[in-house]
Amino acid sequence: MSSKKSRVSVHSKLTVVPSKPSGSVKFNPFSSLDHAMGLHSLHMVFYYKKNPFGSFELDPLRESLSGVISMYPKVTGRLTRLENGNWAVKCHDAGVRVMRAKVSATLDEWLRSADGSEERDLTVWEDMPQEPNTWSPFRVQINDFEGGGVAIGLSCSHMLADLTSATLLFKSWAEVSRREPIEHPPFFNSSALHGQLVPNKHIQLGKYYATKSEEQFQASVKMATATFKFSNSVIKQCLYEVNENCPNATPFELLAGLFWSRITRLKGPKSYNTHSLSICIDSRKLLQDPLPIGYFGNALHFSQLSLKGEEIGHCELGHVVELVHNRVLGIKEEEFWAVMNWFEAQKGEGGKFAPPFRMYGPELTCISLEHMLVPSQVAGSTNMTSLIYAATFDKDEKPVHVSGHVGNVEGEGLIVVMPSMEEGLARTVLVTLPEKELAELCEDQAILRLGPTMLLSGKR
Amino acid sequence: MEIALLRYLSFTNLSVVAEFPISLTHLLAITALIIAIICFTFRSNSVYLVDFSCYLPPDSLRVPTANFIEHCEASNVFDQECIDFQVKILERSGIGFESCMPIAVHEIPPNSSLYKAQEEAEMVLSAIVKDLLSKHNINPKSIDILVSNCSLFCPTPSLTSMIINKFGFRSNVKSVSLSGMGCSAGMLSISLVKDLLKVHKNSVALVLSMEAITPNGYKGKVKPMLMANILFRMGGAAILLSNRKQDKHKAKYKLQNLVRTHLGSDDQAYQSVFQQPDESGKVGVSLSRELLHVAAKALRTNISELGPLVLPYSEQLKYGWSVIKQKIWFSAGQKGTYVPNFKKAFEHFCIHAGGKAVIDAIEDNLRLHKEDAEASRMTLYRFGNTSSSSLWYELSYLEAKGRVKKGDRVWQIAFGSGFKCNSAVWKCISDLDPDLRNSWSDRIHLYPVEIPNVSDH
Repeated sequence: MSSKKSRVSVHSKLTVVPSKPSGSVKFNPFSSLDHAMGLHSLHMVFYYKKNPFGSFELDPLRESLSGVISMYPKVTGRLTRLENGNWAVKCHDAGVRVMRAKVSATLDEWLRSADGSEERDLTVWEDMPQEPNTWSPFRVQINDFEGGGVAIGLSCSHMLADLTSATLLFKSWAEVSRREPIEHPPFFNSSALHGQLVPNKHIQLGKYYATKSEEQFQASVKMATATFKFSNSVIKQCLYEVNENCPNATPFELLAGLFWSRITRLKGPKSYNTHSLSICIDSRKLLQDPLPIGYFGNALHFSQLSLKGEEIGHCELGHVVELVHNRVLGIKEEEFWAVMNWFEAQKGEGGKFAPPFRMYGPELTCISLEHMLVPSQVAGSTNMTSLIYAATFDKDEKPVHVSGHVGNVEGEGLIVVMPSMEEGLARTVLVTLPEKELAELCEDQAILRLGPTMLLSGKR
Repeated sequence: MEIALLRYLSFTNLSVVAEFPISLTHLLAITALIIAIICFTFRSNSVYLVDFSCYLPPDSLRVPTANFIEHCEASNVFDQECIDFQVKILERSGIGFESCMPIAVHEIPPNSSLYKAQEEAEMVLSAIVKDLLSKHNINPKSIDILVSNCSLFCPTPSLTSMIINKFGFRSNVKSVSLSGMGCSAGMLSISLVKDLLKVHKNSVALVLSMEAITPNGYKGKVKPMLMANILFRMGGAAILLSNRKQDKHKAKYKLQNLVRTHLGSDDQAYQSVFQQPDESGKVGVSLSRELLHVAAKALRTNISELGPLVLPYSEQLKYGWSVIKQKIWFSAGQKGTYVPNFKKAFEHFCIHAGGKAVIDAIEDNLRLHKEDAEASRMTLYRFGNTSSSSLWYELSYLEAKGRVKKGDRVWQIAFGSGFKCNSAVWKCISDLDPDLRNSWSDRIHLYPVEIPNVSDH
């Protein structure tokens, strides 16, 4: 498979500059959390059935991109080191790199037959160079499928944004192209996450992050990704099944619990050791002075949940879900500030932040995007609608699928629980595991009995 | 001989009196014929400038300094020395971050294909022709003469053919496409139209001036050739001229004078702006170090012809006396010839926005004040060097600022390869409304700006 010629061919590259000048050159420093995320990258792919782009050269959508990035000076700037050695963005309107590619398959064929490594070709994967002053940290790739259909890939360095910020940037682009006001304008304030002094109760937390920072990975195992789409009715049914143990479980907690327990079982002999799950949630609303969802930057929190192997092996799904649920509920603001303090404490001479380490890993990490679901604006509907699928360029033309990936993840793997195109409780789960384990997981009965639609998982 | 003449006259008199009595009808007919002949001989040769339109590029095509530098590096064509040189010149060029390049130049590497150049030309010319014709509700079929000038891009079919095809002009439209004539070709097109309108009565002419950026990026190392990469930007202008009586009342300006100067016989002038291949075969336009000296010389030659036509006698006398003094008393040569005060002849000045140094030099040479060169400097800052159309952007600036009043005279000075210096003098013949939308309207309230000596990036 790896030697197969890619079906995606990039044929042109250009730079889109912001249409409105951002004014005099400013330096926007990064927070401690931003610095910590520096090793990773984000890659989102939005799939549309109808291509909203014309020739693109003289197209209003290029103009709308130019318009929206005028409101995000951090996105069009370039990374630079300040005097104290820390990173900042030099906001001087250098622009965003845009690639154009052709895919030799139709959209449906692609969703059916492509796998995770092929999907990588739909976004730009570039490591930050030593001298990033002419490197575009945000990159867009527009992939045209045969017979219409398009996939728009957005990639960026994780130092500048988390999945929430990247999604809202994309959604704002769609709003600008529809000539509508931006629903969640960006909020830039790196000092919003300046550590508050909290009593150092959370020694465990410090150890947890210290472990992450020390982890050295051996020869990297080949990872593969598969996408499982669960319908609204199935999730509803499952939640009902675990209702006894956990009456208020969210779909994230259910699916995190399910996948964690199944994956642990797969790992076999190690099941008598402690197994950890790293839960990544958004921290914007966690704070007493909550950050607006438009806060542009990293505002996430990693929290660890550990269980003995036999607990997961023998107990019911409901119990695991309950534990996950309690852990999520238990994350308080203090914990978040304790982490910020820990980062500050790692600072070196002159206030230079410690070099970044892999924040996603080494244990299995599960990302929650439940905060991207908001009450539906449709009158009379009690459904929750996702901000991710609200990125419509043509009115009412929602994306048929959205993928979210994190680059440079090593260790046990990554699970991203995303909203689906179907409203309500439906979810799409993207699982990245070592190749062999993933193949086994795709045959796992506990998961297959829920009748998931498999996407982008290669020919099966 | 006189006797023969007298005899002839007396004979005709007699014969007329005898056989053809002059009736009142005949007298009226002959008078009418004589008046018609007089009118025909002294008929007006006026050329009216009805209106003009400059291309407003979309803001998404602008080139912030950081973006320009990044593209220089990303194109993998220049070494560090060339990049540093271009950055240094760009910072000090007096060109701001709102000037635009065509879409093909935003690609990495820049796409200089014929297809993209045609796209640029079509994008610019269609926009300005559409704007101008729709503003005045003019049917393209009523255009009698179409002249275009674009120095460094000459496709087949020509640019005029492209516009004729796109807008549907009449089959007997007289079209001329000028190419290779440099940045002063805009004035040459006006001069050509002026001559054509002497021959063709009751005609409307459309002049299109632009330069194509797409096919002309220089990819070599020679510094005098790299200048063109830095200075030129996207732009174009469409000018509607007429000699019809009915257009007099709605025309903005009347052409008073047009003086063309060509210093091509002087080798230094001829080679000052030269398109040629460098040592490695890469083609670029070389701007010589003596360019300012050549431009000053060309200007002096031009004003020696223009001066007598426009200056008041007092200034002409002062100038003449200064020349005589210089010839007789050689010591007077230290001060140089008296520079006539052109502010007595003109209210507004449009100096070709070729570069900061050119504008400074001309302002100095003509003893103008800073505000006289404001239109030129602001045009250079906002739009960059748009070649032959820059004079029209400058006039748009003055109109948008509401400075041009009825009766004012405007002097447009163009420079270009050859080396040529062409001047046009226009007189404003109607009340202009500064609120009428033009290419400066969207941000005129922000101007004038203080242009930094070295721009930030």
